[in-house]
Amino acid sequence: MPGGRDASSVAGEEARAVHAEAMSERILEATFACVDRWGIAKTTVEDAAREAGVSRATLYRYFPGGRDELIAAVVGFEFARFFDRLYDEVRDAASLEEVLERGIGFAHQAVVGHAVLQRILATEPELLEPTLTIEGSQILGAIAEFLVPYLERHELAPGVDVAEAADFLARMALSHITSPGRWDLADPAQLARLVRVELLAGIAPAPVR
Amino acid sequence: MDGARPEGAHEPAVARVVRLGGDDRSSQRVRIVDAALRCIGAQGLQKTTADDIAREAGISRATLYRTFPGGKDAVLAGVVETEVARFFSALAVTMGEADDLEDVLVAGMVEAAARLRSHEPLARLLADEPGVVLARLSFAKLDGLLRVASDFAAPFFARWLGPDEASRAAEWAVRIVISYLLSPSQGFDLADAGQTRRLVATFVLPGVVALGALGDPAP
Repeated sequence: MPGGRDASSVAGEEARAVHAEAMSERILEATFACVDRWGIAKTTVEDAAREAGVSRATLYRYFPGGRDELIAAVVGFEFARFFDRLYDEVRDAASLEEVLERGIGFAHQAVVGHAVLQRILATEPELLEPTLTIEGSQILGAIAEFLVPYLERHELAPGVDVAEAADFLARMALSHITSPGRWDLADPAQLARLVRVELLAGIAPAPVR
Repeated sequence: MDGARPEGAHEPAVARVVRLGGDDRSSQRVRIVDAALRCIGAQGLQKTTADDIAREAGISRATLYRTFPGGKDAVLAGVVETEVARFFSALAVTMGEADDLEDVLVAGMVEAAARLRSHEPLARLLADEPGVVLARLSFAKLDGLLRVASDFAAPFFARWLGPDEASRAAEWAVRIVISYLLSPSQGFDLADAGQTRRLVATFVLPGVVALGALGDPAP
């Protein structure tokens, strides 16, 4: 029965795809554990395969580029996890001010509290940074895209272009999240001042009271 | 090296640094630092050895080690120190000539962006060995740089702002320059005065003014 065979082969493909995703996730989790333990430079493909309980050949089937691809994929994987959490944190924010305040505050704490990231930054930043830059330009785009609907719903200062404002806010959010400089982002009053007074003054000035 | 630079960008600064130091020892340092910059521009940082730098400077290896006992790493620290001093002294001239708050923001950002972009050894590193540069321009390292750069720039803003606002405005301007250096944008080229003026007028100046007008300075 041709119909039946099609259906089962579709189901088979889906099962294989699910299996492939689970397998690559398992390898990435294992690689992350190795990086946590030994750092980036000392983590080998063999270590990651052993930690994941798979053969070297299996690992190369999922990551044909070997070590470099694996490390880049771990960084991407960790970023995706981070953004899922960030999204959960801010998705019910009612206003542009709130989404920026909560997003910058949460993301900064997450960066400060990320033990593996902090250890790598202290010991082998040169190995992490090139991957972060590639992720970084995608991140700017992702943050900007996320901010667009909030900007569209908000009354903006005359002459402000939504796409330009979103790009500028994304840059400033990312800059403060990773390097707060003079700002104590754990202090709600300072966070509010940064967002409402500094960042948004030209884009969406607070109504005069 | 100076021949390879854009129209006269660094020549006076070299003279200034030499004059500041005066004695043979400091001119020897400058000579070695400039040789190191040429080596980095030509072959990158990793491949550059202390021997390469000595050869390029036309001095012996022993002389290099007498001037920089730490060898290559010490020369590199000297390179950063010298280039930062040159960068700030050029920036001071431009920012000192500005007539109002918008001008000082625009002039400082344009000068900084243009200098960073036309710095050949830096461009070479960003293209071929980005980790070396980025590791110094992000996270806690960027916090340190923000502090140094905004301490430098704040006095130029203090003509129009209180001390706290001047420091925050200066820090903000430095962030913007670094963000657009590392991730160039389609809409704003910060080496272009017109585009930077539009960016400053739209997004930055209202915030700087609001900090002064509405913000509660930190206790």
